[in-house]
Amino acid sequence: MASNKKVLLKVIILGDSSVGKTSLMNQYVNRKFSNQYKATIGADFLTKEVTIDDRTVTMQIWDTAGQERFQSLGVAFYRGADCCVLVFDVTAPNTFKSLDSWRDEFLIQAAPREPDNFPFVLLGNKVDLEPRAISAKRAQQWCQSKNDIPYFETSAKEGLNVEQAFLAIAKNALAQQNQTVDLYNEFPDQIKLTNTQRPSNGSDSCAC
Amino acid sequence: MHRISSGGHSTPPSVRRPILNFGRSLNTSSEDSTISRNNSPHIAKDYVESLHQNSRAALLFGKNNVHVMPLKAEVTEPMPGYLSLHQTPSGLTIKWTPNQLMNGFSDESQDKSVYWDFALQVRLDEIVYVHCHQDSEAGGTVILVGQDGVQRPPIHFPKGGHMLAFLSCLETGLLPRGRLDPPLWSQRSGTNSNTRRRRPLPALSETEETTKDYVFRIIDNSDHKDILKRKDLMDTKASLPSRVRVQLCSTSTSSESSSKSFSLDQQSVPDSPPSVYIQAVCDSMKKQIISRAFYGWLAYCRHLSTVRTHLSGLVNSKIINGDGASEGITLEKWTELCIDGVVSDYGEVYRQTYFGGICNELRTEIWPYLLGHYKFGSTTEQRKELDEETKQAYENTMSEWLAVEAIVRQRDKEDQAHAIAKLSSESASGEPVPKEIQRDLSNEVFEDEITDDEDSMSEEEKIQSRKSRRNTIKYESDEDQQLNDEDNAEINLVQISSDPEALPSSSNCDKNDEDAEGRSQELNDFIHNVIVTNASLDITNVETDGAPVRNHLDAVTEENNSSLDTCIETHGLASPGRSACVSPASSNGGIYSQELLKTFGLNLHRIEKDVQRCDRNYWYFANENLDKLRNVMCTYVWEHLDIGYMQGMCDLVAPLLVTFDDESLTYACFCHLMERMIENFPNGNAMDCHFANMRSLIQILDAEMYEQMHAHGDYTHFYFCYRWFLLDFKRELVYSDVFKTWEVIWAAQQVASSHFVLFLALALLETYRDIILSNGMDFTDIIKFFNEMAERHDVNAILKLARELVLQLQILIENK
Ligand SMILES: Nc1nc2c(ncn2[C@@H]2O[C@H](COP(=O)(O)OP(=O)(O)OP(=O)(O)O)[C@@H](O)[C@H]2O)c(=O)[nH]1
Ligand SMILES: [Mg+2]
Repeated sequence: MASNKKVLLKVIILGDSSVGKTSLMNQYVNRKFSNQYKATIGADFLTKEVTIDDRTVTMQIWDTAGQERFQSLGVAFYRGADCCVLVFDVTAPNTFKSLDSWRDEFLIQAAPREPDNFPFVLLGNKVDLEPRAISAKRAQQWCQSKNDIPYFETSAKEGLNVEQAFLAIAKNALAQQNQTVDLYNEFPDQIKLTNTQRPSNGSDSCAC
Repeated sequence: MHRISSGGHSTPPSVRRPILNFGRSLNTSSEDSTISRNNSPHIAKDYVESLHQNSRAALLFGKNNVHVMPLKAEVTEPMPGYLSLHQTPSGLTIKWTPNQLMNGFSDESQDKSVYWDFALQVRLDEIVYVHCHQDSEAGGTVILVGQDGVQRPPIHFPKGGHMLAFLSCLETGLLPRGRLDPPLWSQRSGTNSNTRRRRPLPALSETEETTKDYVFRIIDNSDHKDILKRKDLMDTKASLPSRVRVQLCSTSTSSESSSKSFSLDQQSVPDSPPSVYIQAVCDSMKKQIISRAFYGWLAYCRHLSTVRTHLSGLVNSKIINGDGASEGITLEKWTELCIDGVVSDYGEVYRQTYFGGICNELRTEIWPYLLGHYKFGSTTEQRKELDEETKQAYENTMSEWLAVEAIVRQRDKEDQAHAIAKLSSESASGEPVPKEIQRDLSNEVFEDEITDDEDSMSEEEKIQSRKSRRNTIKYESDEDQQLNDEDNAEINLVQISSDPEALPSSSNCDKNDEDAEGRSQELNDFIHNVIVTNASLDITNVETDGAPVRNHLDAVTEENNSSLDTCIETHGLASPGRSACVSPASSNGGIYSQELLKTFGLNLHRIEKDVQRCDRNYWYFANENLDKLRNVMCTYVWEHLDIGYMQGMCDLVAPLLVTFDDESLTYACFCHLMERMIENFPNGNAMDCHFANMRSLIQILDAEMYEQMHAHGDYTHFYFCYRWFLLDFKRELVYSDVFKTWEVIWAAQQVASSHFVLFLALALLETYRDIILSNGMDFTDIIKFFNEMAERHDVNAILKLARELVLQLQILIENK
């Protein structure tokens, strides 16, 4: 890919309801925390320009509803993702337990070329809160078992580690895109004049 | 150059010809290129004869060693053959015949039948474009493109100006009614070919060094265009041929043509005067054109009619006008409508509401009518009574789930204590976790999961578990079913309590660290979780079963649990006005299975998370009113545990609660509201219907927008409307506008359309259509746009437009 071309990185944030997906996204993009965010219905996204290794890329961060019943809706947005961010709440064990199902669901629906190498990043959010229910060690163990997913402990409320986490997300997404860009090299659909009964033959087909 | 002497080859009229497939369907081209295989050498001979000048067709051009790549898999290289251009009464035809068939067709020793499959026959009236590639090295290639857009096999002419000669003959053959566009030869050229200036086509001169391409269009010059001028009959979207060409029968080409490449024997021109042919051809052509136009138009109409039939279900057929209703229901108007507390003219209530809304003071009074809670024609006393019953039933239900909530809270506390204890013991042991324990840790994560529980159970236990799940999740008002369920519940209890190993763990403790003491503690926990609120009934039942449950159960009765006292007082009373779903507790006589506790607990947590986040910035919810919201929500979920809490429900309760500021009335009206809304939630299918209807509506009412949506194929799935439909636009509008919108949606059902939300969605799109179209917004842009526009819409304008759109469709359907 030509380095002057504008790069759009599509990032999907997944995790149980109320783990802080919307808060994290807003903390990262707008650098503010508000306790006025409503439960997400449907889907929304924010964009942010980031510079990675002197390259400016646009991150398109998608936030969908967390209740598992709404998973099927999010599916429409999974396609073409460059990185998937999994979020759990360190004070809520159930949100940690759901990680596998979020990850699996994403892999099934987004159907990336190389599921084993698709970049995920895990965020353990709300570390400002007490008491904790999931230790960092336990989260890291899970990450190890999933092909060494990077893990960050964040607080959307205090802006802790959010910037760093998203920078890692952007880097992983970019690496993923650079890897797949050749495979996916897309051209606009051409108007085909060639008779469909026969595969077009270079010298014979009309190039008009 | 293959020059054909025509004189000696004229064939007698009776001669048999191969059955050539001249008949053709509108848009197929496959027949053109194939000639039915024929093994008879006689017929083959006749066919080859037909390539020559004869009484039926004039030969305009003929050239051998023209290469064509037949559309056959077995042929990998272009084959040489004889190309000819014929003029018959039905039009110009281009034929190409492989050389194998041309030379020595009398030689029967060789089977040449296969070559018949390669022969090519193209009727020029099916051709719209002639693509020419001029190559100074290799000669020229002509590709004919049909009206169906399909290319015919490329025809390679050898070097030496043959392509130009062919085109020249073709152009001449098209005259006088048809022509090439742009013209091959300048119109101003003299009659003498030598003086002709080759104006528009320098590329076709082989003296040019470069390779050039040129495209000609075959154009109809005839008077028949007037048939097509009535374009209003047709839509461009209909699959009509964009051009209809004249089929010429004229044989008067000789005067015009001077190409060296063909010879025309004047003697062989048919005896009939050309005018007769012209007349005949014109007539048939006229028919053809009309029928094509007609079928194209018919197809389009059928399509529209299907769409309209489909859409006719979206609006009421009766058009009700809004005369004198623009003010809606004012206090004044209400005194006219509500006489002595009785509202009988419900039609007028709906109509006034639909066209003008309800003034804020009256919403509390009128909304219950619109939602179907109050009956039109009821008296003030009847409604008071209903209010009382509603309140009573609501409180009863609340007491039921409050009891369960207390247990859930207790369990939560214990769970948390366990989790924290575990966490600290985990961090206390600083050394790395051995492999085996690691696996354990990750397994243990799923202990609570229903599915994983089941995995670790024995077959028998699974059955029990399923039974109990059915018991707790599905409720039938049917008596037998209830009895069965009671049985199941008991069996379940017996099973679980008689086998401590199979106890669903209320803690997250590792089995490894678990000692006997811990286990017995767990058992106690479990027993404490089984609460009997209607002891007499249940214990009798249990006793007759002879199971050793009583010992455990008697530890926990209502007396022992003082925190539940208030709740239990009202328990067991008949709840009039209750929905068909009977709550699990009442049908079980108050035994709460683990399953029930788990299900309700899960829902409780979900509700809490959403209630906390519900419109905290709106004044009404700045205080303890959030608790009211939670109560209504929990009551609904308790009564509808099979549905459970789904995100978005809080948003639907909130405007009702703000309006009524009364929990039981809100609850009753919310139940009515949910009858329609539940289908929009996952598991329902209304959302997909909405999307499909949106697509059809836009196609009919805004073709341009539809085109753009098609161009961005991605957003025909209309996900940007998802939140609109799920919440009846609640998130798109500020509270006061939500009120206005909701009452119109409810009234619309009776007045104009039960799918009014579609027209609201359409009105939103139409309001911003210029922005959407001029910016060429795609799927993501449009999601972003509407998310950012939330709570900034002009609701009056949108409601007005939505009503207009309903009317527009009503009129369209009326005039079908
Ligand atoms: N203390 C603390 N609270 C947080 C943090 N992040 C989010 N919250 C709170 O947690 C609740 C849920 O946050 P959201 O960002 O709405 O959660 P979500 O994951 O987007 O939830 P859904 O939209 O339902 O999927 C809100 O009340 C936030 O204020 C955090 O880092 N610390
Ligand atoms: Mg959210």
